[in-house]
Order: sequence, then structure tokens, then C-alpha cells
Amino acid sequence: MSVLFALATGIMFGMGIYQLLRRDLIKAAFGFYILFTAINLFLLAAGAFEGTVPAYVDESGRVVGGTSSDPLVQALILTAIVISFGTYTLLLSFIVLASRRFKTVDSDEIDDLIR
Amino acid sequence: MDIALTVSTPFVLAAAAMPLSRRLSAPQLGSLMAGVLALLFLFFVGYAPMLSAGALTHTIEWVPSLQLNLSFYLDGLALIFALIVTGVGALVMLYTGFYFEDSQSAGRFLMLMMAFSGAMLGVVLAGNLLALFIAWELTSILSFLLIGFKGKERSARSGAMMALVVTGGGGLALLLGLMLLGATAGSYELSAILNSGDLVREHAAFLPIALLLMLGAFTKSAQFPFHFWLPNAMSAPTPASAFLHSATMVKAGVYLLLRLYPVLGDNAVWLGGLLTVGTLTLFIGAFWAIRQRDLKACLAFSTVSWLGALVALIGLPNGYGLMAALVGILAHALYKGALFLIVGTVDHSVGTRNLDELGGLARQMRGFALATGVAALSMAGVPPLFGFVAKEVLLKAMEKSPAADVLLGVVTLAAALTVTMALILFWDVFMGKPRQKVSEEAHHHAPPLPMLIAPATLAAGSLLLGFLIDPLVKPLIEAALGVPVKLYLLPSELDRPFQLSLTALALGGAIFLVRCYWLSLRLPPIPSGSQVYRAALRSVDAFGDLLLRLQNGKIRFYLLFMLSALILFVVASGIVDPIKWARFNLSIRDSADVLKIVLLLIALIATFASIVFKRHIIAALSLGVAGYSIGGLFLLEPAPDVALVQFLVETLATVLIILILAKTSSREREKVINRTERGLRHPKVWRDIAISGAIGGLVTFLAVAAVVNRPSRESIAQWHIENALSLTGINDVAAAIITDFRGMDTMIEITVFSVASIAVYTLLTRPPAGKVWRRSQREDRLEMSEAEPAELSDNTTPRISTPLTRFGALLVLPFSALIAVEQILYASSVPGDGFTAGVVLGLGVAAWYVVFGYHETKQRLPWLKPPLFISAGLGLAFTNAALPLIVGREFGAITLLKDLKLPADLKFSSTTLFEIGICLAVLGGICAIMEAIASPKEVEAAEKRETQTIERPKEKEIEKEIEKEIERV
Repeated sequence: MSVLFALATGIMFGMGIYQLLRRDLIKAAFGFYILFTAINLFLLAAGAFEGTVPAYVDESGRVVGGTSSDPLVQALILTAIVISFGTYTLLLSFIVLASRRFKTVDSDEIDDLIR
Repeated sequence: MDIALTVSTPFVLAAAAMPLSRRLSAPQLGSLMAGVLALLFLFFVGYAPMLSAGALTHTIEWVPSLQLNLSFYLDGLALIFALIVTGVGALVMLYTGFYFEDSQSAGRFLMLMMAFSGAMLGVVLAGNLLALFIAWELTSILSFLLIGFKGKERSARSGAMMALVVTGGGGLALLLGLMLLGATAGSYELSAILNSGDLVREHAAFLPIALLLMLGAFTKSAQFPFHFWLPNAMSAPTPASAFLHSATMVKAGVYLLLRLYPVLGDNAVWLGGLLTVGTLTLFIGAFWAIRQRDLKACLAFSTVSWLGALVALIGLPNGYGLMAALVGILAHALYKGALFLIVGTVDHSVGTRNLDELGGLARQMRGFALATGVAALSMAGVPPLFGFVAKEVLLKAMEKSPAADVLLGVVTLAAALTVTMALILFWDVFMGKPRQKVSEEAHHHAPPLPMLIAPATLAAGSLLLGFLIDPLVKPLIEAALGVPVKLYLLPSELDRPFQLSLTALALGGAIFLVRCYWLSLRLPPIPSGSQVYRAALRSVDAFGDLLLRLQNGKIRFYLLFMLSALILFVVASGIVDPIKWARFNLSIRDSADVLKIVLLLIALIATFASIVFKRHIIAALSLGVAGYSIGGLFLLEPAPDVALVQFLVETLATVLIILILAKTSSREREKVINRTERGLRHPKVWRDIAISGAIGGLVTFLAVAAVVNRPSRESIAQWHIENALSLTGINDVAAAIITDFRGMDTMIEITVFSVASIAVYTLLTRPPAGKVWRRSQREDRLEMSEAEPAELSDNTTPRISTPLTRFGALLVLPFSALIAVEQILYASSVPGDGFTAGVVLGLGVAAWYVVFGYHETKQRLPWLKPPLFISAGLGLAFTNAALPLIVGREFGAITLLKDLKLPADLKFSSTTLFEIGICLAVLGGICAIMEAIASPKEVEAAEKRETQTIERPKEKEIEKEIEKEIERV
């Protein structure tokens, strides 16, 4: 299963890079967001074992009802989601600033305006 | 006295120099510094008798496991250098006090000079290779600052730069060499390295070590072909030239070679390198010295020449030359120091140091003429001065070299040229006819007598040391070499060195007499070192210009290069292990797996749709679909905590992007879309597809390799599952990792998030800078919106605001607060934690901003202060983590309250406080972002220029009134 996840990670990554290369800044920001998602997917795929129950332990300190999912990658993803959301917001606010100032979201046009 | 203290004392005084210069006059300040260095000199003299029992060491441990220690090593060799640094230093400091007229620049200069004294003592006393390197670099930097002391002069700046580039570049080689040496010898401690000579010499890395260290030493000690920086360094004030560029710093390279002689010396590489370079430098320096017209340049080249002699001596086999090198160092420090200081005085009082403009100064400067005479005699090597002894042992040592006849010839010739130089220095400056310019000006500005003290003392040293060989010099050198030496003032027989020495004197005198022909001799144009250096600098500049053409300002263009380079590197490196296909397991276990595949496909298709759809809003919604599918995958993992966060953040992100799209003018965006979306026929689209395809392929390969090659089950995850409850009291293992095992990560994460949100807030709410809006109007507008919010809120209330939605939003906030409280309290046992609590609350607030608009929200929720929430949240989290420190536990240690029985399965521990902190910080962050985006300021400014034009007359009226009032007054 995780191999499929890894494959999907790669495909998504490629799509993200394509978006990142757009002239349209908003599309480029979407590209970033796709990259973030792809990386989270990869982290999930990198989990050490494929579990069937959530990584919760009962009061005796054991997992009940089967193999648990890998909690370590989950913690990593949790952190990654928050950070990428913060970065994405910052990126968008830069774009808002640029569009406010130059009245466009075309990166090439902004370049020309600056010169 | 402690060795560490002797090294640090000059630094302390350097720090005090500037403040003291306000109270003390320049001579007082100079005398103070001189006095301290003289004291240090006496302390080092006091060390001398103790060294017979071996080297003194002193270690201050810093990171012992990395062998990073500040250790000191004082033996006979270090002592000689320490005596020179403190002795010459004291005299130069005294001289400096009279050299500068105002105490301000004297203070600045003495600050640098004292810092240099400390650094130089650090070089010669360092007992650890890395400490030596740091002190070494410090001397380079201080030399740079001192050469560029008169920074307004172009020559000073370029000379300083040149010295820094050459010695700094050599410093890099030195660092590499020292690290290789340390790794080879297994220790960075000098005491250990000096005993592992055989180990190093037989090691495969010996050649690079020797070459790199030689390179470091050659650049520092101005050896050919790096000698050119030294004459250019003469833009420094003369006391610095006397101290750094003749007596001490340029001898650091010589010191290093002497210091490492037991480890690296006495073999073919060493012999070939040092003897060749040293002899070449010896001759080239002497040859160029007499062709200079600037007195300081003369002295600089003759210093280069003598440094070459020292290096050549250290290269001699069996340590034949070491004694001669040490004697030479002492002799040179004495006479060259004196000559430099006298040249400085001449320059100072006559206003020129050009030989063509000087002459006959002896009448005005009798004492100086005498001192010059003595120093010049020592330089020429006339018996019974100490310089004669130095030249004798030099020739004697060279006699034992492999190609003795050739070398003796070169040395004799160089010695003859040095004699000429000494004669020029004395005769052409002090004797001969006084030139017009000099005789007029010298009367105006006779040098103060105390300026004579330092050069006279040094010259006297040259005179006396020859007679004090047995009581003083011999024990010192024997302590440094560890073997008895034969040293005497006058040879008992007329041996070959003595004959050659006399020949050199005669030849030098002859060259002096015909100097006018010699000087007018034209030489074939050979590119000098500094020309090569300048050409190198120019080519670096040209290369930079070339590279700059690639910098066209288009980020996509840069990305293209970086990504292509990434692909190339990974493919070329071949670091990826072959995929273990045996583990390639695609088996579908149950219906959940089918669902997972479906969700994956949806995510991929939605992502693809976000590319294909031109309109931003649809693309954003497609991305939302993809995000929710990923959330579904998390849920099926099963990872309920992650799924919850993913759903919440996805919702928030979608709300955010829609709000932001609403902020940017849709007309503008559509124009851009129509212009930039080119369809598949355009070649650039195919280029981008190729790049992204390659990157995607690469990532796929890496990801699959990582997943398939991963050792399953052998993971620290297992440890976390087993210890979560016992160590943290949390049933949710992922939450345990977040709040405790990797609590520091979380702390940094919320800090980053908070900083990002504050940045967004600052960026979007500040007045837009640009041509469109003028500041005065903006501020007026700001005042308006604060003064009459009710009136404005009517304008900005969103269209979505209907009674139903308003009721909904009203209801959402308290419920989200309830959910947040629940999630914090039960964070340990059910999905959800402080972060989700913050996001849920944040979504409630976001609903308000969407429905009620900015002004009404601000008005009706006055407690909503994002910065306050952020600081409270971060403060709580950090305090909670820091509290255990008070009771002596580690940072972030968890406090369990196991005995505390709470109703309804509640648990309380220090992590609960952490969760509250996280919740507050996240809530504050989201509120800040929402407020920034909902903030109407710039939209009003942008789209309602009428309001501004209405306000303008008011402003003008006020201005007119003010003007009228002013007129009345």
C-alpha cells in the first residue's frame, strides 16, 4: 500500500513543480501547497508499519485490537501541516501585497514594472 | 602569572584604549600600554629559568570530546617570540604615543595594536592547533585594520584588502592543513603532535599536510610569489609597520615552520620547498629593495629578503639552520624595528619619505642619525654588531646545505645588496647634501626627543647583544632548540663564511658607489606579484559580471536551474541503493485498502484539475478536494489526530484562499490568466512539463526507494508506543510524541506559526507604500475609521450577512469554544489536542469575520486581541517548559499528577498547560491572519478614492487656517 502512496507522492510532486513554474503567482502558490501535501503523503508512506487500529494505548499501556498505526510519522505530519499552513499564509500575503502594489499577479509583469 | 592571563591582558587594554583616550593624552596612553607590555616582557623573562624542565602547559577545557580546548604551550621557542612581541611591542607603543598628535586616533590605533599584541601572543603560545588558527586569523584581521587605518586613502584600502586576501587565503590553506595534521596525529594538542612526528611523516596525508601548511606560512611570511602584499601594506602607520610587518606578524609563518619542524621537517619535500622558495625570496627581496625610492618600501623589501633567508634556513637538513634562524629573528627584530621607527620619525617631521627628496638630515636629527648608523651597521653585518653574528651563522649553515656553492653565492650576493641598502638608508637620508625641501621644513617640525627612546633602545640592543652572547643569547637559543650550540661574536679563524662576509661588505660598498647607474638600469617588464593579483581580482569581477547576466530576476528561471542541477546531482551521485523489489508489496488486504486507492485517485485527479482549470477559484476548490481526500487517507491509516488537523486546516486554507482571491481584483487576475495560460502548443509549456516530469520522476524514485528499503518494524515508533503511558500519562501516542517526546519541536513549531501570522498581520495591515497613495491621506483615513466605526461598518458589511447567517455565526463561536475546551481537557485520550482546539476556535472567529465584516467583529468582540493571545500562548508554553529547571529537572520535563483523582476520566499534568499554550498561540495566529485579511483599510483606500477627495478639502482648510494663524502670530 505504502508503495502506492510513494508513487502518488512523486506524481503530486511533479504537478506541484509544474504549478510552481507558472507566471501567475497565485498558481505558483498553489504549487507550493501541492508540494506540502505531497510531502505529508510521503511521510505517511514512510511509516514503519501498516496498522489497523489507531495508535492509542489502554490504561495498561498496550494497544488493543490489532497492530497500531505508526505514531511517529503522525506526529511529524502534524507538525508539518501546521508549518506548511503558516508558510502558505505568508506566501499568499506576499502575493496580496504584490497585487496591491503592482495591480497584477503576473511575476514577469512585476519584474518589468520594477525595472 | 598564568599564561592565559598574559594573553588576555593586551585584549583587556585594547578594550580600554578608546575610553581612556578621552581622559589621557596620546603620550600618556602610549606609555601606559608600553608599561603593561614591558611588565609582560619581564614576566616572560621570569619564565626563562623554569623551561629547563620542559614546556609549560595550561589547558582550559571547552569541548573536550571534540578536542576543542584553549590550551597554552610555552617552551623556549615560544619564549623567544613572546619576548620579541612584548619587548618590541612595549617600545613601539611608547613611540606611538608621540607619533599621533590627537589622542583620539592614538586611542583607536593603540586599541588595534594592543589587540594585535594579544593575538600574536596567542599564536606563539597556543597549545592547540585550532586555537593557533584562530589567533593566526585574528592577526590577519588586525593587520587588515591597521593597514587600512587611514581608510580615506585609496592606497590604504587596496593595500589592506590585498593583505587580507593573501593572508586570509593562506589562512584557509592553513586551516585545512592543521585539520589534516590533527586528524593524522589523532590530536589537536601541540604537546601530543610534537611527539608523533614519525607517525605523520609516514602517513599518506603527509604531502598535502606539508604543502598546505607551507602555503599558510609562505603567505603570512611574504614569501615569493606571495611577497607583494608586504610592500603594499606599508600604507599602515609606521608603528604598525615596525611591529606587525617587520618584527612580529610576518614572522608568524616562520614561527609555524619552526614550531612544526619536529613533525614535518627534515625530509625531501620540506627541503625542496623551503630552500627553493626561501632562497628565491631572499634574492628577489634584496634586489628590489635597493631599487625603491620610498623608504618604507625599501625596508619592506629588505624584510621580505630576510624572511626568505629565515625560511631557507629552516629548510636545511638535520636542523643545521635552526640556530641561525633564531639568531636571525632576534637580530632582524632589533635593527629593522629601529629603522622603521626612524623612517617613521623622518616622515613625521619632514613630511616625506621619498629618497629623492631627503638628505643631510643629520644636522637636525643627530640622535636619530646615530641610531640609524648603528642599526644600519647591524643590518649590513659589520662586526661586532649582532647583525654580523646573524650573517655569520647564516653563511655557516648554508655551507652545509646540499647545493652549498650555488646557495652561498646567492646568499653572498643578497648580503651585498643588503649592505648597499643599509648604506643608502644611512647616507642618502642623513648625510649628503640637504635638499631644498627638507632644509626648509625640518626646522618647523623637529621630532620630539622621546620619539628617540624606542629606536635608540633597539639600536643599542643590536650593538650590545653581540657582546652578551654568552650570558643572554646562547641560553635562550639552547632552551629553544634543546641542544647545546656553538655561538660566538668573532670567529677565531679566517674561515670561508667570514671571507664571504667580508666579500659581501666590499661588494655592497662597491654597488653603493655606482648606485646611480644601477638604479637607472631598465629591466625587462616582468609581471609583478601585485599585477598578477590585480588581474586575478579583475577576472573575478568579470566572471561575476558574466554570472550576473544569468540573474535576470525571473524566479522561475532560477528554479529551472536549481531543479535541473538537483536532478543531475542525484543521478550522477548514484547514492540511491537499488530498490529491493522483493519487498515491493502491492497486495490489497481489505476494503479499506480499496477505499484508500480511490481516495488517492481522487486526490491526484483533483490536483490535476487545479492545474487544468484556469479560474483561480475553481483551482482553489479542487485543491480543497485533494486536501480532504488526503485527510480521508489519514483517517484510514488510521490516524485520527492527523485526519482531524488535516480537515480543519484544509477548511481554513480554503476559506483563506477564497478571502484572498476576493481581495485581489478579479479583473486583473483574469487578464493575467488570459495572458499566461498558453495551452499545450506553446514550447515553454513543454519545457515546464519536462522539468516537472523529471522532478516528479526523481521524487517518485526516491520515495519508492525510501519506502521499499525501509526496515519495517525496527522503528523507534515501537518504543514510543510502549512508553507513552508510563512516561507521559497520555494514551494517545501521537499526542504524547507531540507534547512530550518531541515537545521541543512543537514549541518551535508554534513559535514559527506565530511569527508567520504576525508577519502576515504586519504585511497586510500596514499602509501600502507606493506611488498610488500618499501618506497624509492614509493617516487621515485611519483616523476616520477609528472615530466613526458605526458609519463605516455599513459600507463594509459583507453581502453574506443575512439574519440567518448572523444567527449561525453567533451560535458557532460558543460551540467552537466548547469543543476547544473539550479537546484540551481530553487531549490525552481522544483525537484532538491544543492545536485543533485553536483551529476550531479560530474557525469560529473566521465565521464572524466572514459574516459580520471587519468593523462589526472588532466592535462586538473587543476581547479579540491576536497579539495578546500569541504572547500569552507562547509565554505559557515556555514558562511551563522552563519551570522544571527551577527544581533541577531538565527543560520541558513533564510533571504527572497521578494521585490527583478527577471526575469524568479527566487527567491533569503539565502537558495540559502546554496544550492551553498551544491553543492560545494558534488561536492568536489564526485571528491575526483573519483580521489582516478581513481588514478593509486598503480596499477602501483603493476603490473609494472619492472619499479621499472629499476629505482633501477639509485637510486643506485646516492647513489654510493654520497658515493664517501663523501669519497672525
